[in-house]
Amino acid sequence: MKIIQTENLTRTYVVGNSTVNALRGVNLDVEVGEFVALMGPSGSGKSTMMHLLGCLDTPSAGRYLLEERDVSTLTKDQRAAVRNNRIGFVFQTFNLLPRLNALENVVLPLLYGRNGGDMNQRASEALERVGLTSRAQHRPNELSGGERQRVTIARALVTNPALILADEPTGNLDSKTGAEIMRLLVELCAEEHTILMVTHDAKVAAHAGRILQMQDGEIVNGRPASVAA
Amino acid sequence: MSPLNTLLTALRGISSNALRTALTTLGIVIGVASVIATLALGNGARAAVNANFRFLGSDQIQIDQDLQLKNGQMQAVGKTLTYEDGLGMASVVPLVDRAEMTVSGSAKLRYSRQTVDLTFQGTDAGALLTVISQGQVQPVGWPSNKALTPKDFIGQGRFFTDAEVLDGDAVCVLGYQTALDLFEGDNPIGQTVWVNRKSCQVIGVAAELEAVSVENRINTRPNEGLFMPVSFAIQNLFDTEPWVTIIAHVTDESKMEQAKAEIATYLRQRHDITQGPDGNYADDFHMTTKQDVLGAQQQSAATFSLLLTALAVVSLVVGGIGIMNVMLVSVSERTREIGVRMAVGARSRDVVAQFLLEAVLLSAGGGLLGIAMGVLTIPIAASLNQGIALLDPNSVPLAFGVSLITGLVFGLYPALRAAQLDPIEALRYE
Repeated sequence: MKIIQTENLTRTYVVGNSTVNALRGVNLDVEVGEFVALMGPSGSGKSTMMHLLGCLDTPSAGRYLLEERDVSTLTKDQRAAVRNNRIGFVFQTFNLLPRLNALENVVLPLLYGRNGGDMNQRASEALERVGLTSRAQHRPNELSGGERQRVTIARALVTNPALILADEPTGNLDSKTGAEIMRLLVELCAEEHTILMVTHDAKVAAHAGRILQMQDGEIVNGRPASVAA
Repeated sequence: MSPLNTLLTALRGISSNALRTALTTLGIVIGVASVIATLALGNGARAAVNANFRFLGSDQIQIDQDLQLKNGQMQAVGKTLTYEDGLGMASVVPLVDRAEMTVSGSAKLRYSRQTVDLTFQGTDAGALLTVISQGQVQPVGWPSNKALTPKDFIGQGRFFTDAEVLDGDAVCVLGYQTALDLFEGDNPIGQTVWVNRKSCQVIGVAAELEAVSVENRINTRPNEGLFMPVSFAIQNLFDTEPWVTIIAHVTDESKMEQAKAEIATYLRQRHDITQGPDGNYADDFHMTTKQDVLGAQQQSAATFSLLLTALAVVSLVVGGIGIMNVMLVSVSERTREIGVRMAVGARSRDVVAQFLLEAVLLSAGGGLLGIAMGVLTIPIAASLNQGIALLDPNSVPLAFGVSLITGLVFGLYPALRAAQLDPIEALRYE
């Protein structure tokens, strides 16, 4: 099954009198269990691609099918629901809530979904999966960078999403810790999680099963960059 | 998000900056406290007016001398309202079937070596009937369902008669406590006492009395006093002829205004008051009925509550703007938190609920504090207002409800601002 299918995915911004074509009709297919790295220079459209795939934004033209469902025309609240239970985010800057401890941060996505049962139990299992059971009651400022990123990964995993989007997951970590995080992501991929990762670092990208290069709003390797081409 | 989790999240949000939170609610606290305290003042004033004028029966017209301040003393305007003015009233004014005249003054009462300073009442023989109709005092321990007769007010001896009032006889009835103070347990009946320098025979002692309403029992002293025929008092206890107070009993309660007009005509004739060039009469007396008092009281209560409403609105708007301000600051400080919550699935309504609830919790907390402060302020307000302040029980839920609504109204805009944030922008916010 294809997790991601985009057809002519296009995003243009209007800035003053000029229009910026951030994405120029991208076609991309990602299969279940794939680990895809998205590379490219600044301004190449990586972030825009990430936002569209994460349902944080809607395309100006084209279609985006997530698990064979068209999510490009959903309302704001419908997109929130898709983000809540089909997508997990791993950010470069972690984006943990500073006043909540690790467990509470991991529970957060469950609170916004229709989740019965023991949400703390599910969050504990997610923390266990990333090896942080002993740190569950610690706040982010009491955790190391690597531990924080593990909490973020646990938060992304806890709803059992179709897709994990990682934006420079090792960008704020030293190389040793970064390597540990990459090992964890590779393991998750082996457990049938689909991961799409944005990175500058070719060494990091090397962990992925497929590397896509972006330039000027188009994917310049892999499948043809547009239907017309 | 479930309501419970929304509540927990909101509580966490406001507890994270306790000092700022406390300062923010100060406006609401003061607003609500002043609402409670001022409503208590209004409530107390209403109760006091009710207590002070309850004596006037609804079929009675009280006629008083017009007074003016001259050389530091209150003096009668025009002609004096006299005992004779009242004596002829019932026979001349058709709607009046009885008129009572009273005077009062202070005197030194002496028996043997004992003296007591007191206020005497010159009345007619029907005074005890009037006391009953006023319903202010009763014999101690009197059952509330049992009717009273004048005899119940007499402990020993008797009250004076119409004949004694007409003749101006030197007889008197002592208050229960006054008799004890003066005679120290001896039997006063038949003894001669001295009122100022006039001798007077004691013919009765009142029963031990108490105020009917329990809250009035502390500040009234119904057992100290001296009753004597109004004619005797006028002739012997004043240097110049005193003005009397006349209470006219009207035969038909529905014709009070007509009775007032008839009494005015009668008194103007006796006092030679003619119509002036402007068509008005320069009366030297004024008349009061229970309806007049109630009307004036209602008018002043309406004015008072208008002032209070204005005060409440101003302080609550100030408090509400304080809450709006702190919530806007909070939304801007927590932009990134909002972005994270949106990224992991918070819908607009979840964000609105969280921030609206924070605002309402703030204002509700302020409201509760304000209620406590307002209740504590009541004794202080009372001491500044002659002891007149009484907690209005309705003011507590009212003030709390108003504080909740303030939080809702002023929290709505910051909450909507939070919900309209773009998650991408919010996540990038530094």
